[in-house]
Amino acid sequence: MLKNRGIAFKLVLFILFSEIAIFTFIFGYNYLVSRRIIEKNIEQNARNLVMATVNRIDSALRAVEKIPKNLLYILEDLPLTGVEVKDLLRTVVENNPDIYGAAIALEPYAYSKDKLCFAPYYCRSGGKLKFTYLDCDSYTWDWYRIPKEVNHAVWSEPYYDEGAGNRMMSTFSVPFYKSVKGKKRFMGVITADISLTWLKKIVSSIKIAQTGYGFLISKNGRFVTHPQTNLIMNETVFSVAKATNNINLQKIGREMTEGKSGFAPFTSMRTGKKCWIGYAPLSTSNWSLGILFPQDELMSDITDLNHAVWALSVGGFLILMVVIIIIAGSITRPLRALSKATEGIATGDLDVELPQIRSQDEVGVLAESFKQMEDSLKQYIKDLTETTAAKERIESELYVARDIQMGMLPTVPPPFPDIALFDIYATLEPAREVGGDLYNFFFMDDDHLCFAVGDVAGKGVPAALFMTVTQTLIKTKGIKGLSPGEILESVNKDLSLENPSFMFVTLFVGILHIRTGALQFSSGGHNPPYIIRADGKIEAMELTGGIPLGIVEDFSYQSKMTGLKKDDTIFLYTDGVTEAMNEKHELFSSARLEEDLLGLKDKPVEQMAGGIMESIEAFSRGTPQTDDITILLLRFYGEAG
Amino acid sequence: MKITNTGKQKDCLLITVEGRMDAVTTPEFEQTLGGWIDEGEIRFIVDFAGLDYISSAGLRGILTSVKRLKAMGGRIVLTALRGTVKEVFEISGFSTIIPIYESVEAALQEM
Repeated sequence: MLKNRGIAFKLVLFILFSEIAIFTFIFGYNYLVSRRIIEKNIEQNARNLVMATVNRIDSALRAVEKIPKNLLYILEDLPLTGVEVKDLLRTVVENNPDIYGAAIALEPYAYSKDKLCFAPYYCRSGGKLKFTYLDCDSYTWDWYRIPKEVNHAVWSEPYYDEGAGNRMMSTFSVPFYKSVKGKKRFMGVITADISLTWLKKIVSSIKIAQTGYGFLISKNGRFVTHPQTNLIMNETVFSVAKATNNINLQKIGREMTEGKSGFAPFTSMRTGKKCWIGYAPLSTSNWSLGILFPQDELMSDITDLNHAVWALSVGGFLILMVVIIIIAGSITRPLRALSKATEGIATGDLDVELPQIRSQDEVGVLAESFKQMEDSLKQYIKDLTETTAAKERIESELYVARDIQMGMLPTVPPPFPDIALFDIYATLEPAREVGGDLYNFFFMDDDHLCFAVGDVAGKGVPAALFMTVTQTLIKTKGIKGLSPGEILESVNKDLSLENPSFMFVTLFVGILHIRTGALQFSSGGHNPPYIIRADGKIEAMELTGGIPLGIVEDFSYQSKMTGLKKDDTIFLYTDGVTEAMNEKHELFSSARLEEDLLGLKDKPVEQMAGGIMESIEAFSRGTPQTDDITILLLRFYGEAG
Repeated sequence: MKITNTGKQKDCLLITVEGRMDAVTTPEFEQTLGGWIDEGEIRFIVDFAGLDYISSAGLRGILTSVKRLKAMGGRIVLTALRGTVKEVFEISGFSTIIPIYESVEAALQEM
């Protein structure tokens, strides 16, 4: 599917895919690393903030603690009167705006024998100081009971004070003693009240991001301050954890009430957002401070950064895409134009106007090459057309020449049907359109049949021209009464006269007396013919010592005599027969020829010639014929036949 | 076909011809020999000991060279013909018009 798309498409696709991968990797890596760094910083800051807040609350509480402690020294050392105590309390509350109220509660009958309870108490109410004596029930409250039992100063659990202040508060109680007869005797407690509203103000003054907040829980896990006012006093960490089935909160609550500090992930129950919670115990009371840090707000910087990086990446990506599309388009546009134009060339229209490409880059070079190719093709086709026309003209002329040449050969089969004294058959197969082989036979008189086979050196047109001259000369020189040697001499003389290109022809001429079988012959350098005797013997005819015709003008050719008996056959041929080649460059050879001749000797001459030709063809097995092939067969029957 | 110039003795250029001399290879023989003739060589002893086959075109090539050299007062002789090549020279009668020797040494004695 993809491979059918254009180069521009692929280029855009591949580069942008790589680009996305690279951007994603860089972004992801950056995000993870920066997040880790920021988280580390957040944790450190959170711990610091928790500690700073704890210290702040502690110092506020410590300031409160000092008030009753200082009072203690006064009370322990001075004999007390009711008025003095009352004035002292008033001064203390008046001068310490952080505390809500203060009381001095003495053990029953410790003030005087007749007064069961003595507990003067000053507190603020509507901007004024209000004085009351706390009643005896007060002695059952934690703020009195616990310091008495544990013998040291304690902060009470937060409680709602109905009688004295009608508000939520916590009380710091310091027990005091008097030595009576060397014995330390518990005398009562000095207290300082703080309003939880005051504490809450301190805690909520801690600003943690936008929705982060701090809260205090008491030793039992009860909420001392919390932005959700309904939780204060009413709920503990554990009751909330139980109600919401929040194991994490329960665990954190346990750690906080055990006085441990820590930092842990947490899901806000109010907003459901991911948060961290940092917590640490106060050193003054047994309370614990917890601070909730909303994750998304603390991480807002990195989130903003990531958004910016994303925006830049997408922007860069889009710019890159546009640039690549433009570049790819500019590269492929001329290619497309070229491709469209070459489609025309492919269909054979070489006059297609190729697009003008000015750039000198690869595409420009390609376009230039195409233009040159188009021109070359045009020129080539023009040349080819001309050459083909010329060749066709020559070929057609050659075929005419072939017809003329073949027409110069005597007609076969049997040109002399009324003569039963012999049979003659000849065939000629030129290697090209025209050739240099020849055969001839004619009656010199009623009894004498002259026959000849010749082979001009070389092939083709030059050989054919020389052959026609020779053929004509044989016919004109074969005059009654001449011997074969005399005919050769006469032909040779004429051929040698004007022969500037040193052509020559081998020629065998025989004259048969068709009644007696007497045979006169002479050879001008020609392969000796075979005589196949009726009794199955085959013999090559003698050489007569002649050289090819056309070489030596006054050469003297000798004739020889032999005789044919009934059914003897004489076989004349050119070297195209014995030198026919197969694909292994093996020659047909005279041995193979002799064998075939004997095998075919009982067949009529026409079939014999056909048999030899077939044998040659079977031997050469399609290897192109390199030389002209000529065969002439003459079988003698004589008078008796 | 392979034509090699094996040196000069007694003012004659010794040449060996190996392979086949037919219509295809003979023009090369004529050109090579023609080149030497143009360089002034007119006496040649051609060793045919390595020649396997000669066609009528080959004969004509030799004849052309013979006639050309004869006109220049030079000559060409053949040596060490064997097998079918020797037969062709005998049948065609060329052995009677071109000097042929048994060996190069025999030819050198005559030159």
